[in-house]
Amino acid sequence: MSALIITVVLGIVVLYLGFLNKKAILSPVAVAGLLVVLWFTSGEWNSGAAYFHDMVVFDNFSVAFNISMIILTILIFLFGMDYYRTMEFHVSEHYALMIFALTGAFLMTSFSNFIMLFLGIEILSIPLYILAGGKKYSYRSNEASFKYFMLGSFATTIFLFGIALIYGTTASFYLPEIEQYVAGCNGELHPMLMIGLLFVLIGVAFKIAAAPFHFWSPDVYEGAPTLVTVFMSTVAKTAGIAAFYRLLGMGLLPLPVPLERALWVMTGLTLLVGNMGALRQTSFKRLLAYSSIAHSGFIMLAMLSQHDNSASTLLYYTFVYSLAVIPVFIIFILVKRASNGLEQLSAFNGLFREKPWIAAAFVILMASLAGIPPTSGFLAKFQVFVLSIGQGYLFISLFAIVMAIVGVYYYFMVIREAYTESEFAKPIVLNQLNAALILICTLGVLILGIFYRAIII
Amino acid sequence: MKLLILLFLPLFAGLLLLITRKYRFSGYLAPASALISLVVTLMVISGVPSGNVSVDWMQVPGVRFNLQLDEISKIMLLLTGLLYPFILLSSWGREQTNQASLQALLLFSQSALTGVFLAGNAFLFYVCWELALLPVFFILLLWGGPGRRSITLKFFIYTLAGSLFLLFGIIYLYLQTPGLHSADFAAMAQLQLPEKTQQWLFWILFIGLAVKMPLFPFHTWQPPAYTTAPPQGTMVLAGIMSKMGIYGVFRLLFLVLPQGVLFWQNTVIILGLTGVVYASVIAFRQNNLKTLIAFSSLAHISLMVAALFAANTYAVQGVLFQVVAHGITIVALFYLVMLTEEKAGTSELSGMGGLKISAPRLALLFMLVMLGGIALPLTSGFIGEFLMITGIFKVSVWFALAGGLTLVLGAVYMLYAYQRAFLGPLNPAPEHKGDIISRDQWWLIPLVILILVLGIWPQPVLNLVLTIPELLRPLPLP
Repeated sequence: MSALIITVVLGIVVLYLGFLNKKAILSPVAVAGLLVVLWFTSGEWNSGAAYFHDMVVFDNFSVAFNISMIILTILIFLFGMDYYRTMEFHVSEHYALMIFALTGAFLMTSFSNFIMLFLGIEILSIPLYILAGGKKYSYRSNEASFKYFMLGSFATTIFLFGIALIYGTTASFYLPEIEQYVAGCNGELHPMLMIGLLFVLIGVAFKIAAAPFHFWSPDVYEGAPTLVTVFMSTVAKTAGIAAFYRLLGMGLLPLPVPLERALWVMTGLTLLVGNMGALRQTSFKRLLAYSSIAHSGFIMLAMLSQHDNSASTLLYYTFVYSLAVIPVFIIFILVKRASNGLEQLSAFNGLFREKPWIAAAFVILMASLAGIPPTSGFLAKFQVFVLSIGQGYLFISLFAIVMAIVGVYYYFMVIREAYTESEFAKPIVLNQLNAALILICTLGVLILGIFYRAIII
Repeated sequence: MKLLILLFLPLFAGLLLLITRKYRFSGYLAPASALISLVVTLMVISGVPSGNVSVDWMQVPGVRFNLQLDEISKIMLLLTGLLYPFILLSSWGREQTNQASLQALLLFSQSALTGVFLAGNAFLFYVCWELALLPVFFILLLWGGPGRRSITLKFFIYTLAGSLFLLFGIIYLYLQTPGLHSADFAAMAQLQLPEKTQQWLFWILFIGLAVKMPLFPFHTWQPPAYTTAPPQGTMVLAGIMSKMGIYGVFRLLFLVLPQGVLFWQNTVIILGLTGVVYASVIAFRQNNLKTLIAFSSLAHISLMVAALFAANTYAVQGVLFQVVAHGITIVALFYLVMLTEEKAGTSELSGMGGLKISAPRLALLFMLVMLGGIALPLTSGFIGEFLMITGIFKVSVWFALAGGLTLVLGAVYMLYAYQRAFLGPLNPAPEHKGDIISRDQWWLIPLVILILVLGIWPQPVLNLVLTIPELLRPLPLP
């Protein structure tokens, strides 16, 4: 709870620090603040507490996901030091909005009440709508912001409608009470409740860009400033997944058959759309957007294969995915600068000659995203498959394996570009902080893959 | 301890090489590491106690880091240990860009391959299996010939697709083990899955293995990849990586799914024999010497698979002998192809001709190795093929007849190629660069001697495979 409050205060502090007009101190202050938040959050481990008449429950599940999101935000802010250095406008609101979004993310991992979930989603989303339009004079950025806002509000409306329908049937917002009601129905659910649950799931599926609610993601990822794209594809995604799982795990499992079928179809579609879509992309950010959709598919596979290990698999999967995505984007920014703002895959050409060690790190990170051993990305996929095959979903697992092969293709297509002979327009400028970040994340990806210890949540 | 040395020495040597590549002594690092590995391998094989390694690795139940050594592993280790020194030495002093990185990547692949052959746990096996692919991907991408960009990616995706099917199968088997699950091969071999399950699971695993070998019809990545890869890459692919699939058949199919193997026996034999004839016929029509040898390798591997699935003592022992014999021959052949291309200035057979006049020593060595390749008596190839065809004969005379075609067709296309490249009048077109230098000659002579010695006195290797029927107890070998 104190973590939540400190985060909000930190956001306001950072916002007002903007008046000092010293860009260099923003990121250190924010990072220091987040470290304090991290300290308080980890103190809540194993001491689950409920607040506001049990509307928010900080159990181990939410604490684990919150810690993971705080670490990711810290990494993103450190990356921001270099990213915002050359920008002319005030950046304090960017940091502040990200911190506010993080507050929303905390609520999304710890709700036990539909109202809190709704609040969390909105607190996360509204800063993101603004952040997506962070480049004021860029046409694409404005488009991204507008598109995200329109589609996002639409999804929110459906979500809210779903909550209303559920309340209409069960007379409650509380997940445990709804669970009881559903259990009491003996499998014969009122159609209104069914539709309500479906709408709620659609609202959350929109947040994690599961097909067929993914259409916003490539455009927004491409148009938004890269740092915001990183934030969306890591922290916001983690929050969405945690919320999705909490929703299923706390109230809705086992799902009514029609809903379960719908979700399976959604999983298959997400895998298909994400991987097939990524194949034909020439813009790197769009490629990562589609790959992010594809990863949502694998995550949903783990989510639907209900098992005690599902939650820890999700935590591991989202964390190592994000840990690989952040440095990949850092490297992308570096080569983009060196090739005069090129965003195509060919921007990576010649990376191998120019910076061999960065290229090697890039290979490891992409291999982790593709799921090649001994990286942690492989172990994450391995666990997903252990879950889904173990629960007997053989055909969808085989389908997911075929899709994983497609995934390997486009990730290695990018690696191939990095290992193609070419010259950059300008030399790559790599400062020590970014180099350290890339190193830490790459080592993290390797070490988490080789020495894995499960966190039971 | 010795097993750990085998596994990690190449890895560390490779890393050291990458760090110290600017210094002069780094050139000696790779061959030195390979030689030490060879000595340790020979010690391990000859029965010096090597100790077991088994530690808990991850908090996933049943995923352990354990190394095991049985006769099949020993054969594969012998192959790896024996060939790597020559593969590394073949790049010694050649004008290749960034040679240190190439050698480091080769060492990484050695480490991963050793891991595949030593792993006693399916998870470790799979990790090494895929790791072996990565160095080769970069070797092809960075040092390959024309068209390498698309060929490399095709090769990589194709083989990785196979691996992922393998992963599915391994996870399925892992989940079938009782209790808290175990990914140890020993635990998997205890499983007695229902016959129906064995039958469908067989194909999931077999496709993964067949792509790696490669077996017709999963072979389409192989000829272009072998042709485009730099000589050292081709040697690793043809000499050792193609044997990974055969090793996998032993470990995962013969020991775990014996009924599946028996059920699909004839199908696979027919696939193998089709591959033999198909590859031989196509090899005959090739104009590129390297592609020709690639197809000949395809034919030989196909025969080995057919013999493997004949599943009797003769055939299986023959296959394991041939694993070593074919490895030596094919590495020597690709070495010689590299030299021939250097001397003739072209890789097209139509541009060669009469090389015997300008490079007599090369011609002699090529002839000797080629005779091993076409399994002339008194060469190592003969022993293996004799045993294998005897084994196939026990299944069906017709199969044996088709298998015997390798011998005939192999002689046809190899001798025809030799004739076009080395005999006849000297082709005036290319600038001839004289005979091979003594360094290459000294690396090649041991290989030729090995081919001859194993042909005359095969007992040391055959002794290793004597106990195979006992080892493969789930599948009673007739």
